[in-house]
Amino acid sequence: MTAGTPATGAGEPLRVESLATLPGLGGLYARGAAASGRIAAGRAMPGLPVIGQGRSVEGDGEAAPLTLPDVAYQVTGVPTADLAHHLHDYQRLLHEPVTDVLPAGYLHVLAFPLATAVMVRGDFPLPLLGMVHLANDVELRGHVVLGDVLEVRAWAENLRPHKRGVQVDLVAEVRRQSEPDARPVWRGVSTYLAKGFHLPWTSADAESSADAPDDAEDRAPAGTWTAPLPTGRWALGPGTGRAYGAVSGDRNPIHLSALSAKAFGFPRAIAHGMYTAARALADVGHARGDAYRWTVEFASPVLLPGTVDVAVTPDPDGPGFAYVGWNGGRGRQHFRGTVTPL
Amino acid sequence: MATRKPSDGSSRSASGTPARAANPHAPAGVRDAVIVGGNRIPFSRAGRKYADASNQEMFTAALEGLVARFGLQGERIGEVVGGAVLKHSRDFNLIRESVLGSSLSPQTPAFDLQQACATGLEAAITVANKIRLGQIESGIAGGTDTVSDAPVAVSEGLRRALLDASHAKTLQARLKAFAKVRPSDLKPLTPATDEPRTGLSMGEHQAITTARWGISRAAQDEVALASHQHLAAAWDAGFFDDLVTPFRGLTRDDNLRADTSTEKLAKLKPVFGRGLAEPAEPTMTAGNSTPLTDGASTVLLASAAWAAERDLPVLARLVDAETAAVDFVHGHDGLLMAPVHAVPRLLARNGLALDDFDFFEIHEAFASTVLTTLAAWEDADYCKAELGLDAPLGSVDRERLNVNGSSLAAGHPFAATGGRILATAAKLVAAKAAETGKPARALISICAAGGLGATAVVESV
Amino acid sequence: MTDSYTKAVNSGFTKTLAKKLGLPRPAILRRFRAGDPLTVGPVLVVADDASMGDADTLAKELLGWGLDVRRQPTDDTRWGAVLLVLTETKRPTDVSSAVLATGSVLRRLATNGRVVTLSRAAADGDAPALAAARNGVDGFLRSLAKELRAGATGNGIVLTDGVAVNGTSVLATLRFFLSARSAYVDGQLLPVGPADADLPADWDRPLAGKVAVVTGAARGIGAAIAKTLARDGATVVCVDVPAAGEGLARTANAVGGTALQLDVTADDAGRRILEHARTRHGSLDVVVHNAGILRDKLLANMKPAQWDSVVAVNLEAQLRINEQLLGSGVEGLRIVSLASTSGIAGNKGQTNYGFSKAGVIGHTRATAPWAAAHGGTANAVAPGFIETEMTASIPFATREVARRLNSLQQGGRPADVAEAIVFLASPASAGVNGQVLRVCGQNLVGR
Repeated sequence: MTAGTPATGAGEPLRVESLATLPGLGGLYARGAAASGRIAAGRAMPGLPVIGQGRSVEGDGEAAPLTLPDVAYQVTGVPTADLAHHLHDYQRLLHEPVTDVLPAGYLHVLAFPLATAVMVRGDFPLPLLGMVHLANDVELRGHVVLGDVLEVRAWAENLRPHKRGVQVDLVAEVRRQSEPDARPVWRGVSTYLAKGFHLPWTSADAESSADAPDDAEDRAPAGTWTAPLPTGRWALGPGTGRAYGAVSGDRNPIHLSALSAKAFGFPRAIAHGMYTAARALADVGHARGDAYRWTVEFASPVLLPGTVDVAVTPDPDGPGFAYVGWNGGRGRQHFRGTVTPL
Repeated sequence: MATRKPSDGSSRSASGTPARAANPHAPAGVRDAVIVGGNRIPFSRAGRKYADASNQEMFTAALEGLVARFGLQGERIGEVVGGAVLKHSRDFNLIRESVLGSSLSPQTPAFDLQQACATGLEAAITVANKIRLGQIESGIAGGTDTVSDAPVAVSEGLRRALLDASHAKTLQARLKAFAKVRPSDLKPLTPATDEPRTGLSMGEHQAITTARWGISRAAQDEVALASHQHLAAAWDAGFFDDLVTPFRGLTRDDNLRADTSTEKLAKLKPVFGRGLAEPAEPTMTAGNSTPLTDGASTVLLASAAWAAERDLPVLARLVDAETAAVDFVHGHDGLLMAPVHAVPRLLARNGLALDDFDFFEIHEAFASTVLTTLAAWEDADYCKAELGLDAPLGSVDRERLNVNGSSLAAGHPFAATGGRILATAAKLVAAKAAETGKPARALISICAAGGLGATAVVESV
Repeated sequence: MTDSYTKAVNSGFTKTLAKKLGLPRPAILRRFRAGDPLTVGPVLVVADDASMGDADTLAKELLGWGLDVRRQPTDDTRWGAVLLVLTETKRPTDVSSAVLATGSVLRRLATNGRVVTLSRAAADGDAPALAAARNGVDGFLRSLAKELRAGATGNGIVLTDGVAVNGTSVLATLRFFLSARSAYVDGQLLPVGPADADLPADWDRPLAGKVAVVTGAARGIGAAIAKTLARDGATVVCVDVPAAGEGLARTANAVGGTALQLDVTADDAGRRILEHARTRHGSLDVVVHNAGILRDKLLANMKPAQWDSVVAVNLEAQLRINEQLLGSGVEGLRIVSLASTSGIAGNKGQTNYGFSKAGVIGHTRATAPWAAAHGGTANAVAPGFIETEMTASIPFATREVARRLNSLQQGGRPADVAEAIVFLASPASAGVNGQVLRVCGQNLVGR
């Protein structure tokens, strides 16, 4: 076994399944929507589920135990040489310096379709649509530049209870093709919540669940958290979701327009969580260095158009930065995270 | 007054008479750059008298007034340096074009320079340095800005389409380029004064600094009131008779409210810092913040010999200058706190202390900018941690602060403010020296967007 | 500001029409342009018998100016000017032949021609017949001026006793009257006394090296004065209230002078003017009190501010500035003040203005000896109807009447006033002191 070989949370090795190319997100969403419908049809009481709001599990106590597919997807020989335009569009949109260096958020964009492919597998136990993105934890260990040929792997692991349902980690790793056995140069763990699903609780689960961020509905009422003095303010236009959708390929309807978002129970379109996290990462700027850990926890969605107050503050005890974004008017937290040089 | 004496020795003699300020680091042979005088047009609130005046028209008018005051018709000036913060792309040679439209010799070279709100002062520093090095004998520094006639940009989508269309060779390709334009692309983009890296307007930035330093509404309103009262008194006393030339029928700064009062200022609603958690009641109003303003200013600098040959008056010397910048992006320091850093360095280099100044011209971007500047220099912790001083820099005697008003009352056409302040300071020290028979000194401090600040020492001759 | 009527009756079809209708046809006046001939044709010099010697002297001077000088009236000449010398006339009967000789050529006096008389002022102790003859010239000239047509003017030089006919100021005045500089001066008799001065080296630049201050220089007559002073060689300090600074800068830059934004009613206005002139230009030689305001109101409706401000600006300021300048011992200062025909003849609605302008005439006469004691002069110019932005605002009918009520049947131009001022300010005019020179086209009202 080489270091970094995918394993389940329990450490069991996974079967690696190679795909010829990175899948396109558009097709995946169609499949994801179909799979979500299938899962809903198989598990829900008629009339109860509303796509996009998770599912109710009342009366669903007899469902089969949830298990993750024991497979990791892998694509090798992913070229980046012809991505210059796409990369630069991304960098301009996210306020990154426009260079040939792929920022961590861009690598997330590259790897995300493969992780999504895992989630739309027929044996993936949770519905893609309606999953809530809770958190992300990314490590970038060095420069990835245009021209590097990459190897991308993705799998799901660590299915565990959450007080509102179950959460699962989607892990993606990026290696340089030239160094297949080395540690991944980029590794991202995206934590999703599927509301209304159950897992048997263990004491260890309870512990980990306590650490998990609350989702929006569980947040303490505004007022108990006092916003710091902002260091920045983002005025996000109504097209923010469409713009990030265009560069990331993530055209989840909840991001695209007020109308499509309403269909999923949001009053307006909401910004991609990774857009906000990547903006915060860009706000840290040069001080993050070439290798860094970048985490984010999402607390409440950012409605579009909207204004987000942001505080990006150096860690007084170390080289890292903490950031938090909130709604200046209502003092409601949207996200928070850290960027720590490695 | 607690005043830090510079560690490398004070220039003050035992008798208390200030010695001539000098930068000991200046290379030998560097000569004085003197300020002959200045001219500006009255500053006007955006959208009023100068609503259709361009930067070039305003700067040319300011230049023409200066030429008339000092009889510079046909004179080949060493260099004219200035700029505008909000600038049309067509104004790539704004200052040179203004020179060509003036009564100066068309052989007068010029260049544009920009350092946000410090543009005017930076232009003067640049001109002074050229004079001091003997590269030029005379120079005019200044700046102009219009918010009323500001450039309006098209959206990125429309801009792309226009560029594609202009490069297109066929009608079809041209139409194709425009087909990509979305209705939302047709909305014009007006220039923002938001900091590009933070998305916060200057007012919001200052609101954060104000909150951090706990500056009260009452204290800010007091600064604003003093500014209006001082400026009104200066106008009434004729102080600006040889500093301002009317333009477009405007004869005084029209933001000036001679009749404002504590009560009137107290009634104004806060406009900045409303989204902040603290303080619960925001403190920054339209009354204690500068309004958007149009205007232009110029200052004539020269070598002493050049001025003497032409029988021109000499008001003061531009002794030395220091610029600074702060790391405001992550809130380490306030956006407008750079002069707080520049001044101690400037004083130390020249062997001066705050006590050595007869006048302090601190640009009133906001009343609270002045107050946080003063507070920072009095704060031992801040002075130690941020400025590297063993003791607080000291207190500024409020009686010597902006004695003839500043930007809160006069308004603040960004690049024009430096020239206004420099000419005012030069005239103040000249009058003070004439009155007392002793050298007089002024400290100029101008904060600017981008966490920048420019400061200078002006001394009577 | 354009007098389109004068243009119309002097060109094309409308000229023919006006001729046939017998409409008044004001001439287009010849104004000074450097390089133009001094007169529009030969100069006829005539004199009574007793004055023949003076006439010869003057004829020689005129020849020296390059003029075509004749002593006999002939029928084949289009006369540019007639110089009628009556300096030594003793009795009224003496003038007859010379006067009639003058009359014999008037029909052939060219457009913009000139008639200039030279006579001596009646003085105390004159024999009655001598006084009669001398004073008679006054009425003769004023009447003759009214008979002249086509832009021709008649003016007289009145020598005070003891002044040689070729005295510096006599010649300077003669040249002024003969030239296009006096285009709108008509029917005036100017007393000229002795002068301790030289003729200018260059008649086109009589003010070379002089420093002149003009108040109210931002526009109108003031701007024209500044330009004319500069044209004639002076360095000009342009003064106006700070509020007029934009126009002031324009004037200063046009004349290559300096702008001094100053309210002339300020207590220290004179000292500041002097300081500016001395520190920036080395001296102060000429001050032109042009700044003036109008606050027209019938006296019954006059508010204190309307009366007081006019008196303060038009009169008190001049007094104070003169006191400060003369009190500072400025040597050789030439003071020229702007009076007005309103101050001579009066004008309805202008009791304040008339008071101030008559006051100017009064203080000019009183200041003259004081100025003379310092080698200077104090004179005034009284403009009549001058085409300016100010008069352009007068309603059409009123304006049309006002501008025709003079021998030249038209309004003057700011430059006409300026020419008179430059003449009075020039070193060679030192013998003209305490005088009021009207620039009014011989306005029908007043003297």
